[in-house]
Amino acid sequence: MGKPTGFIEYLRELPADRPPAARIADWKEFHLHLSEAALRKQGARCMDCGTPFCHTGVLLSGMASGCPIHNLIPEWNDLIYRGLWKEALERLHKTNNFPEFTGRVCPAPCEGSCVLGINAPPVTIKNIECTIIDRGWDEGWVTADLPKQRTGKKVAVVGSGPAGLCAAAQLNKAGHTVTVFERADRPGGLLMYGIPNMKLDKEQVVMRRIRQLEAEGIRFVCNTNVGGNYPAEKLLKEFDAVVLATGATKPRDLPVEGRNLKGVHFAMEFLTANTKIILDGKKNGNFISAADKDVIVIGGGDTGTDCVGTAMRHGCKSLVQVEILPKPPMERAADNPWPEWPKVYRLDYGQDEAAAKFGADPRVYLTTATKFEGDANGQVTAIHTVQVKWEKNDKGQFIPKNVPGTEKILPAQLVLLAMGFLGPEQPLLDALKLERDPRTNVKAEFEKYSTNLKGVFACGDCRRGQSLVVWAFNEGRGAARECDRYLMGSTDLP
Amino acid sequence: MGTVAAGVAKAHADVVLISGYDGGTGASPLSSIKHSGIPWELGLAETHQTLVLNNLRSRIYVEADGQLKTGRDVAVAALLGAEEFGFATAPLVTLGCLMMRVCHLNTCPVGVATQDPQLRKFFTGSPDHVVNFMRFIATELREIMAKLGFRTINEMIGRTDKLAPRKAIEHWKAKGLDFTSILQRPDVWPEVIRYRQIDQDHGIEKSLDVTRLLDICEPAIERGERVHADLPIRNIHRVVGTITGSEVTKKWGPNGLPEDTIHLKFTGSAGQSFGAFIPKGMTLELEGDANDYLGKGLSGGKIIVYPPAGSTFVAGENIIIGNVAFYGATSGEAFVCGMAGERFGVRNSGVNAVVEAIGDHGCEYMTGGRVIVLGRTGRNFAAGMSGGIAYVLDEAGDFPAHCNQEMVGLEKLKDADEIEMIWKLIQRHQAYTKSDRAAKVLADWRQLVPKFVKVMPKDYQRVLESMKKVKEQGLSGDEAIMAAFEENVRDVARVGGG
Repeated sequence: MGKPTGFIEYLRELPADRPPAARIADWKEFHLHLSEAALRKQGARCMDCGTPFCHTGVLLSGMASGCPIHNLIPEWNDLIYRGLWKEALERLHKTNNFPEFTGRVCPAPCEGSCVLGINAPPVTIKNIECTIIDRGWDEGWVTADLPKQRTGKKVAVVGSGPAGLCAAAQLNKAGHTVTVFERADRPGGLLMYGIPNMKLDKEQVVMRRIRQLEAEGIRFVCNTNVGGNYPAEKLLKEFDAVVLATGATKPRDLPVEGRNLKGVHFAMEFLTANTKIILDGKKNGNFISAADKDVIVIGGGDTGTDCVGTAMRHGCKSLVQVEILPKPPMERAADNPWPEWPKVYRLDYGQDEAAAKFGADPRVYLTTATKFEGDANGQVTAIHTVQVKWEKNDKGQFIPKNVPGTEKILPAQLVLLAMGFLGPEQPLLDALKLERDPRTNVKAEFEKYSTNLKGVFACGDCRRGQSLVVWAFNEGRGAARECDRYLMGSTDLP
Repeated sequence: MGTVAAGVAKAHADVVLISGYDGGTGASPLSSIKHSGIPWELGLAETHQTLVLNNLRSRIYVEADGQLKTGRDVAVAALLGAEEFGFATAPLVTLGCLMMRVCHLNTCPVGVATQDPQLRKFFTGSPDHVVNFMRFIATELREIMAKLGFRTINEMIGRTDKLAPRKAIEHWKAKGLDFTSILQRPDVWPEVIRYRQIDQDHGIEKSLDVTRLLDICEPAIERGERVHADLPIRNIHRVVGTITGSEVTKKWGPNGLPEDTIHLKFTGSAGQSFGAFIPKGMTLELEGDANDYLGKGLSGGKIIVYPPAGSTFVAGENIIIGNVAFYGATSGEAFVCGMAGERFGVRNSGVNAVVEAIGDHGCEYMTGGRVIVLGRTGRNFAAGMSGGIAYVLDEAGDFPAHCNQEMVGLEKLKDADEIEMIWKLIQRHQAYTKSDRAAKVLADWRQLVPKFVKVMPKDYQRVLESMKKVKEQGLSGDEAIMAAFEENVRDVARVGGG
């Protein structure tokens, strides 16, 4: 621990974001960096706890508490305080293959469980992580690190999202020859087409890492849909082992009247097409514009926020984000104690931008849509909403009940459904005859990852259901370890 | 362990504590926390068995501690032979402790182990939390007792027949472990008592204080009249003066009596803890020598020791008082004409003492007071010394090699007031003890002043300077102390703060 009294002396400080009015004019990232001196002070705030929680990565009340990939947080905080950047980067890479992704998009359960957070603002772990790796790239410390020996074993990774990339990187490290299949035209999965560019820059951040992985010997095969234009059986024949990381891409629908009207889209259709346009530099047929429209985003999660941010950049006329849950408290509620994930009110970047332009946080709480209204052309014009209250049913589960008299009609020319995901798409899993769990996810035990098919492993959202990028990292690394053990009889992968 | 326990039971100890390796203060180095000691179960079993075999268990409580956290832990400890149980970590956690292991750094972020008022504000504990925790412990223990058919803890003690090792532990290290010696019950006559039922006889009625001193000192204790007595002393007389001192304090309060109101002169060889805890107004003069713990916890009294008249040895080269003299003493004066054993003045927080030479580890953990050594010290002088000042007359010039300078700095005497203070103390030492050494030092004073080494704790000096500064700013009392504290608490140069 660099400075025992750091947490008493220094206040939590994050770098300023670019001002909302300026950043909604482009698609560039909006986080800035702190000066080195200021960041060292933030590192000094770490208490090097005798009993730390930031690295634990356990589920408490269903939410992650502490880092699921067990980042050695107190160690690199201390190294940053001492100014030992390269050592900090090495320590960070020990547990995290791609800190530049988690440093940008992770909700940071580490900070939620930071011991300092029990009575003060926690250490800025996520920002420190991001700065370490960004500096590493800038200094040229992140280079292709080829395995010393090849095992001659061939492994296919299906899906190039965070779980697939981690599995591929780890398997390659172990010396296996790895091929990653991706059905989209670019690798990265949700990192590429799910998360918008302003949160995670595609060319400068995602592709930079993909190029490094390619230089290390991983082959990316895009535009290839395993189970579609590439037969699943071929996969089993050509490779010694297969790691499935196809994600949980089946979106939750809202089957109410008018759902089929034009202008009602799933969030991913909207976000994917948008990112593609930015990358291709030309319009495509799938592009959905929010410009000059009254936009309704249904769903208050991260994807909803990304829809808000994207619509803001399109220049929408108005924006309402509908959330079915109540507004969270400003501070932890009594039933949500440290070190649980703090369920508190947060103003994320999208809402911040909407507030800057339209004057208020665009979210309405305890509200659900009951009907979409359209015009003669079948284009949506308005949505009907109603407030709900959460009541226990006879099984003791909380369910939303509509409150009569609270109905409202909001104008809408674009409705985006960001209500989460139900599980993996089934055709490939059917083709491979893989067992499923009751939630339609691939059946494979956590930490084991083996499916009912010998040599086929499943990890990430297709196994655990929709979750955080960092859980995908955890599972990708774990599946690589188990796959290596299967191929070689033992493994040195962590 | 059993041997030690039997020994202390014979020596009239009331309790023997078996403290397991899992526990310990959060201030310990990680290496000690992880790698020292053994489980309490081993020590407890051996202790109980040995005490029962030697029919000593009836006279002594056996306590166990070391990460006891559940009613089951208590039940196991009772069945292995304990009737008292120590808890620390778990109750602390109920009070908000986060096991930060910074108890020694003053940076406890939840205000449990810190003097920093800013951090103490974060303390959220309440005694009720501990009470509640203990209720759970008691409830679980009662459930286990009910299952085993016990009505009282006393019935459970040493009933290892109710313990069985778990068979299904899957660990390669658990293979082949033999628990029979832990679970053995000593084969003794049924009359042998297996838990503590008989009071130890501490022989207080036979002590010198009760048999002689209280009567002699009665005029002083009752009416504040001066008393003087000459008495012989033997080393079977332990803690001489302590009960008398306690009576003085009961009657006259913390300020005691005027200096030398009670003046007792002893001739002979004093037993352990001579003059322990004696208050202001009591002077114990000893012509002869003293065992360990002389003046332990001295609380204002005065102790004078010198060799018997006619002795031929050089006082400053021969040990006249035992180890650990003036341990934890808080105030008072001491003049010892001769050499002291090891750990002289350990944890002294306010006594002014003059001694002619000392053994190893002198002034260890000292926090206050003044110690003057007119000759050689052993090694590791001033280890952990954070306050007070020591003055060592270093004629040989090798003292720095004997001094642990981790927390102290070595200086020369410069200040005239300070030199005069030392001169006066040595002069009194000479007057009280007729010390040849002191007489010689005083005679050669001018030549010897430069040979004194002032041992000054770095933290202490900084706080003294801060105090001086804030007093110049017009602060006083607690306000000044807090301001000086605030000034230093965030300083990284602080020894504790690395």
